[in-house]
Amino acid sequence: MFDNFLFLSSAALTVCGALAVVLAPNLMHACTYLLTTLIGVSGLYVTLSADFLAATQLVVYVGGVVILMLFAIMLTGGNDNKSVNKFGIEKVAPMGNAKTFTLAGFSALIMALVILKIIANVNKATPKTELPPYETTVEKIGELLITDHVLAFEISSVLLLGALIGAALIARPRRREE
Amino acid sequence: MMNDNVVSFFSEAPPYQALNEKLTYLLNFDTRGMMAFVVYFVAAFVVVNVMALIGGLGTYAERKISADIQMRQGPNRVGPFGLLQFLADGVKMIMKEDILPKAADKYLFFIAPILCMVGVFATLAVLPFSSGFTLTHLNIGVFYVLGVSSLVGVGIFLGGYSSNSKWSMLGGMRGASQIISYEVPVTLSIIAMVMLGGGLNFQTIVDGQGGLPHQWFIFHNPFTIISFVVFFIGMLAETNRAPFDLPEAESELVSGYHTEFTGMRFAFFALAEYVEVFVVCGVAAALYLGGYQVPFGLSSLEFLHTKVGLPMAPARMIGQFLEIGGFVTKTVLLYYVVIWIRWTLPRLRVDQLMTLCWKYLTPIALFNLVGIAVWIYLFNGESMWNLVFKTGAAAAGHH
Repeated sequence: MFDNFLFLSSAALTVCGALAVVLAPNLMHACTYLLTTLIGVSGLYVTLSADFLAATQLVVYVGGVVILMLFAIMLTGGNDNKSVNKFGIEKVAPMGNAKTFTLAGFSALIMALVILKIIANVNKATPKTELPPYETTVEKIGELLITDHVLAFEISSVLLLGALIGAALIARPRRREE
Repeated sequence: MMNDNVVSFFSEAPPYQALNEKLTYLLNFDTRGMMAFVVYFVAAFVVVNVMALIGGLGTYAERKISADIQMRQGPNRVGPFGLLQFLADGVKMIMKEDILPKAADKYLFFIAPILCMVGVFATLAVLPFSSGFTLTHLNIGVFYVLGVSSLVGVGIFLGGYSSNSKWSMLGGMRGASQIISYEVPVTLSIIAMVMLGGGLNFQTIVDGQGGLPHQWFIFHNPFTIISFVVFFIGMLAETNRAPFDLPEAESELVSGYHTEFTGMRFAFFALAEYVEVFVVCGVAAALYLGGYQVPFGLSSLEFLHTKVGLPMAPARMIGQFLEIGGFVTKTVLLYYVVIWIRWTLPRLRVDQLMTLCWKYLTPIALFNLVGIAVWIYLFNGESMWNLVFKTGAAAAGHH
């Protein structure tokens, strides 16, 4: 019963947050609604007993990506029209118009069909059984990362190193040419 | 495999099981879930209230210790030694007018203090007060703390942004960038301790240590001492404490990100800060200073039940309270050091802050991580004291 409650509340958080993100007129508010969605997704991971993934979701998205988005929105001023003050707070025009909403709705429909098609196969292939008992996934993930998936792990770390060097290069004070 | 938590601690006691059977008989359904819910609820209620009290007392301690350092009296009118000052402050905060700036973003202005509070209080779920009385010994406890405490950064940033004031904005930006930057050396130091302890669970890490200083992870090997120093500095920066209180630098930014907040909204920010300091001191105590371990195994059942001869139930409870005593003592001592540092050191400049983080602390923490890994590999995870004792014993002719 508790699992059901956890699942339903996480799912509700995710869906409501996602809807609010799309419908919010203010980009900054949309970002905070995104926060609810991400926490909801992390709750969904917990109900699937993927504890490490849930915590990673919190660390990466709540602590990193959302703050990055907030910074980006603030520094770029939200949108171009002049009805905003310099912090982008007041009079932000609604995000999107009829055209963008139609396009987005259409693409969401296609995506949903594709995903449902994939999930249908999985559902057919595996009979419904009781969930396996809860066990921690940290050790397994750690082992897999440095054995089977070591190449992916190394490639992603090289990518991150590249990002770090790039950031340092951009942020470095340039010598003035006289 | 369920992890240990406060419910599993109580459910081992015979009265709990008897009550459960009785309730199951009376209500005609399995009441284990309900009982667990009630125990969790009561425990969470107690923890949140006690921590709020500790946050309040933190403000009192801050003022009293700063007064001591500056040779003043400090608050001394309300209650004995001014102890009830924080209650008077709380009443004052509630009575104050709740001012909402006209140009502020109302929704963000409303949720910013709440985000700070939620981020801090969510970490209390895994803070290891004792082996039994922790809300839950989560398998990923350390990681969970890192995750939910990042909500505080979002709260501070939004607080600064939503006020629509230059000073708040600067404070909020400084706060967010500072918290993100110092997460790197802090996390690297924590990873080293996770390697030594062999798990992300606070219980595993604390149980890997002993009650006496030479069994603590801080004195495990030379690298861990450096690791502790890095962690402590980073922790000061993450909680925006002096000398890293740039987000609320009162000489430049009025009061930083909470300039525009009044009444209880401001109190939420202040309370969140003081509770967060307690939480991070608790994490430091658990990772480096043996956490809830009590010297000579005084809190163990083996000692209290078998040797002293206490009955089972009181022995368990007394053991738990001794452990809480050990944990709180270490945490409060660290809390004192944090306040002491605030009233001793001058504030850093922004560029010095970033230089310290990226040019000193991060490389040190990285090399430290490698050093500790090499130590574990070379000496099989033994502490330097064990090695010294062994060589000493060998030299004295013990073979």
